[in-house]
Amino acid sequence: MSQRHLSILLGLAASVLLVSAHADDLDAATRAAARKVAIGTCENCHGPEGHSILPKYPVLAGQHANYLAAQMHAFKAQTRGDPDALGYMWGMAATLDDDLITGLADYYSRQKPEAGKLVGGPALAHGKDLYLNGDPANGIPACATCHGPGAEGSDAFPRLAGQHSQYLIKQLKSFQSNLRNVAVMHGVAQGMKSEEMEAVALYLQSLGPKA
Amino acid sequence: MAALAALLATPMAHAVPSFARQTGMTCEACHTVYPELNHFGRMFKANGYTLDNLKQVRGITAKKDEMLSLADLPPLSAMIQVSYTQLAKPLPDGTGAPGHSQSGTVDFPQQFSIFYAGKIAPHVGAFLQITYGNDSGTIGIDNTDIRYANNFIFENDKSLVYGLTINNNPTVQDLWNSTPAFGFPYAGTNAGVSPIAGTQIDGTLAQDVAGISAYAMWNEQLYAELGVYRSAKQGAVNPVSGAAGPLDGTTSNVLRSSAPYFRLAYEYNWGRNSLEVGTYGATFKLYPGGGTTTAPALLSGPFNEFRDVAEDFQYQFIADEHVFSLTGTRIHENMNLDASYAAGASANSRDTLTTTRVNANYYYQRKYGGTLAHFATTGSIDNVLYPAPVAPGVVTSANGSPETTGWVGELNYVPWLNMKLSLQYTHFGKFNGASTNYDGFNRNASANDTTYLLFWLVY
Ligand code: HEC
Ligand code: HEC
Repeated sequence: MSQRHLSILLGLAASVLLVSAHADDLDAATRAAARKVAIGTCENCHGPEGHSILPKYPVLAGQHANYLAAQMHAFKAQTRGDPDALGYMWGMAATLDDDLITGLADYYSRQKPEAGKLVGGPALAHGKDLYLNGDPANGIPACATCHGPGAEGSDAFPRLAGQHSQYLIKQLKSFQSNLRNVAVMHGVAQGMKSEEMEAVALYLQSLGPKA
Repeated sequence: MAALAALLATPMAHAVPSFARQTGMTCEACHTVYPELNHFGRMFKANGYTLDNLKQVRGITAKKDEMLSLADLPPLSAMIQVSYTQLAKPLPDGTGAPGHSQSGTVDFPQQFSIFYAGKIAPHVGAFLQITYGNDSGTIGIDNTDIRYANNFIFENDKSLVYGLTINNNPTVQDLWNSTPAFGFPYAGTNAGVSPIAGTQIDGTLAQDVAGISAYAMWNEQLYAELGVYRSAKQGAVNPVSGAAGPLDGTTSNVLRSSAPYFRLAYEYNWGRNSLEVGTYGATFKLYPGGGTTTAPALLSGPFNEFRDVAEDFQYQFIADEHVFSLTGTRIHENMNLDASYAAGASANSRDTLTTTRVNANYYYQRKYGGTLAHFATTGSIDNVLYPAPVAPGVVTSANGSPETTGWVGELNYVPWLNMKLSLQYTHFGKFNGASTNYDGFNRNASANDTTYLLFWLVY
């Protein structure tokens, strides 16, 4: 087994072990506090209900609660180190306590996801092919295996459907360079060329909630 | 004279690293390139500069009511501006004898400032600046904006941010860079020649007034503000008591009661674009004052009234590599000069003045950038308000017209996000009414063209 496949498997196992936060346990006060922070502060960048307008900021609407919470903890612990994580979210997450993180993750996971902009022309078909089948010859696994056939994600696997392509490309590059140090995705992105990242990102951006 | 006060107003506008320290975010979270704000920067300001991600020193009562919440470190910043100015043609020598002054001026520093910028208490924040300027040679209060802000979230998930600001320069509290206090040029020479006329709201009363206003921003889109300003002169003492104030007739341009101020703006964001259109204005009733013991003036009775109404817009395109913005404003001033006219200080009892500015800014990778700006001031001819030739000219107007038009071109290099090197060239097509012999002493408008090199550090 190649080292890359091993790391992918290890990563998978780790993700499955992640405990899931049960949103139903949230008390009304945490919910209300999270809603106030989300609309009063996070929304200034991440847009209304997490439908971000500026592509620099990722869409949070409909993202899975466990993934969101894990990212907020990673920002707070300063372990997610890509440039914009460091420049923006380390500061933002520094004072979020565990309850508020759970509340915010819950708030955004409940918002309705939407399709993003449909642009890209011929690249879309290439992107779709890469997403569904990967490129085994070049060591690129099918994204769909983990992120789901419609890129809807689940639990610790983030939803990618409808995400800004600019943000997706930025993340793939950060996984590749290990600035965002996640073994699974490093293995995936390692062999990807810029055009491939762009094609798959444009395809993902165009997807709606149930593709 | 009211218009002359414009000569003293140097454009100053700032952004400060203490905000970055307080929020834990990079400058570009709030700025395109300082001091221009992006949408988040505007919301940060509207929210009273209070977003604070630092560990807090707390005080609570037995009932857990919060009594104190202080950041570990005070949000302090320092700024220094060092500059060199070269006038196209030297000024005539001040001795009155034939001769020329030096045409190059080194300002070291042009300005040195200390800021307290950030949260003071929950919901209360401040942007407070103390400046040493080489032109005044003293330390004084500079742009200051102290805020209380809070927000309300509606059932439908829309937000309403509301607050109060106490500040000392009309528009310093504004969120967009199309209004005077934080508009382009963000820095300018204080060693050049300033045109004779400027509207009151355009920096003329900066740091000479204090005001309070209430504002609200709905859904991060619609902004409305109403307030009043009163005279708050710096360095003025009452000549009888020898103590600060109350102001008397020896002081010029004292506000009669309060000056109402309004602002309305709408912002729309789509993709990487942000567009704002708005209007703002104020009405200033000013006693000319400026009397002496032999020629006393009254701080009652006749006054001049300046009605300023302005429109503005700002368009921003913000991508990772390219940042572009286009801002503009047009300020129209109706002057009712009854007091000055009666005192023989103006030729007409009604004058108008209009200033228009349009600025286009571009940055590549937030490192290399430039601005091209056009400015124009036009207005009524008034041979007394805009003084006729007195030797040695320069700041006079041969034809009594305030018309001043021209261009500014600026190149910027930002090696670090808190360091800027600028080369600015200002060309005057017309100055105080004409392009040639504008002052009656054979000085042409282009003689006042300036080349200005600025090194600007904020820490
Ligand atoms: C000043 C702008 C700004 C504010 C305010 C802000 N964020 Fe972010 N956020 C960003 C940027 C930029 C990124 C992308 C970071 C990157 O590229 O790694 C991001 C990323 C995230 C992510 C990761 C999303 C993903 O798909 O991995 C989460 C979760 C997040 N933010 C939550 C929040 C929450 C919750 C708040 C409010 C407490 C908030 N953000 C406030 C700018 C902001
Ligand atoms: C073996 C499972 C797996 C495969 C295959 C996989 N991913 Fe991922 N991906 C993940 C996990 C797990 C994360 C979350 C990483 C983290 O926790 O930071 C992730 C995160 C991402 C992110 C970051 C999303 C965000 O909101 O920040 C992007 C973009 C991404 N994957 C794209 C892809 C693409 C494109 C492919 C196919 C070429 C792919 N992934 C294949 C598991 C996988």
